[in-house]
Amino acid sequence: MNESADDLHLLAGEYVIGTLSAASRADVEARMKNDGALRTAIEMWEEKLAPLSELVEPVEPSAALWSRIESSVAAKSVPRAPVKPTASWWNSLNLWRGLAASGFATAAFMGVVVITKIAQPPAPGYMVVLVGPQDKSPGWVVQAGTNSQQARLIPLGKMEIPGDKSLQFWTKGDNWKGPVSLGLVKPGQSLEIPLDKLPPLQANQLFEITLEPSNGSPIDRPTGPILFIGRAVKII
Amino acid sequence: MPASPASPDSSRTDAASFDYEAALAACASGEQQALHRIYQHESRRLLGVALRIVRDRALAEDVLHDAFMNVWTKAASFDATRGSGRGWIHTLVRNQALSVVRTSGREVSVDEEMIEAIEGEAVANAAPMAEAFEISADIGRLDECLHRLDVTKRNSIMLAYLDGCSHSEIAKRLNAPLGSVKAWIKRGLLSLRECMA
Repeated sequence: MNESADDLHLLAGEYVIGTLSAASRADVEARMKNDGALRTAIEMWEEKLAPLSELVEPVEPSAALWSRIESSVAAKSVPRAPVKPTASWWNSLNLWRGLAASGFATAAFMGVVVITKIAQPPAPGYMVVLVGPQDKSPGWVVQAGTNSQQARLIPLGKMEIPGDKSLQFWTKGDNWKGPVSLGLVKPGQSLEIPLDKLPPLQANQLFEITLEPSNGSPIDRPTGPILFIGRAVKII
Repeated sequence: MPASPASPDSSRTDAASFDYEAALAACASGEQQALHRIYQHESRRLLGVALRIVRDRALAEDVLHDAFMNVWTKAASFDATRGSGRGWIHTLVRNQALSVVRTSGREVSVDEEMIEAIEGEAVANAAPMAEAFEISADIGRLDECLHRLDVTKRNSIMLAYLDGCSHSEIAKRLNAPLGSVKAWIKRGLLSLRECMA
């Protein structure tokens, strides 16, 4: 295509001031990835016209907006985070399998063979390691069988929270409208969580623990900061 | 609208002293506090920009939410040699807002050709156009160049940039033929480019 310099700058200019249709905008965005001249022209317009935004009256965002952004960012940041803690759990699972196997060998040697029980593969299910959004240190683990109507939340350590606060446990599947509360959690205590009112657990399902007022969030979604967060990983 | 009494005009001095580039670099390395600092410094202005374009408070907050997600996920691709950090963030917000209004088809499907045919020359001898905007802030060289344009071109470009108006929305607002608006914008952009080079 033989495009004059003026045409290129007009296309870039109209893209930046916003008069292009949705389809043309998409075209320009696809094209600028490989078209250095177009990209430079767009950046030129962005820079030259930016002072116009100084004419706009600032508007105070609602208090909830930052919490919303914070939760989304935490959710987005997590998928890769728990890999390490999960791996160390795998290691310990292997260790336990190893111990079971050697126990089996001993038992077999002694002639006390209980093949059917011991040789059963471990039940498949899900595991979630909940880590701190900042330091990624694991704080809690969730375990559930595939068809289990219950999950178990297990603390990995002790923690303290202010007297007027509580910990609230939440989950959200991929296509859910918002998170669902799984109830309040006491620091350092295990908890059995009924899952029968929820859709079946899915891989990658989000779990998080937030800091809330003493009786929990007053609304149907978290209001406080995320203390621990993680996604469900399928265990074979 | 009066300026918000809470922080009279501190936002601009903040904007001048805040290191957006450093904050973006921190975001790229996964520091969520850095995103919060950007939000604290710039969210009022960004929401103003988004609201002017999408014209709905809840929608504007959605735009800001999605744009901040973009800031977070794309921070590593920010290249300080190609522009300022603050400009980059503003661009993400404007693009998000424009994408929302263009995709939603805010305007009731306008047949551009038909409007052109109906309007024809009818507006040609209408009264001279008034200024659509008062330029109240110091915007430097851009101000000078904008004022070298005639009022029709200036109004068209500013309605597009600030209010997210499409060609046909501008035609409606300025009560001008669509073809004229398109020509004003093209000629206006070319003059601006020459003036600011």
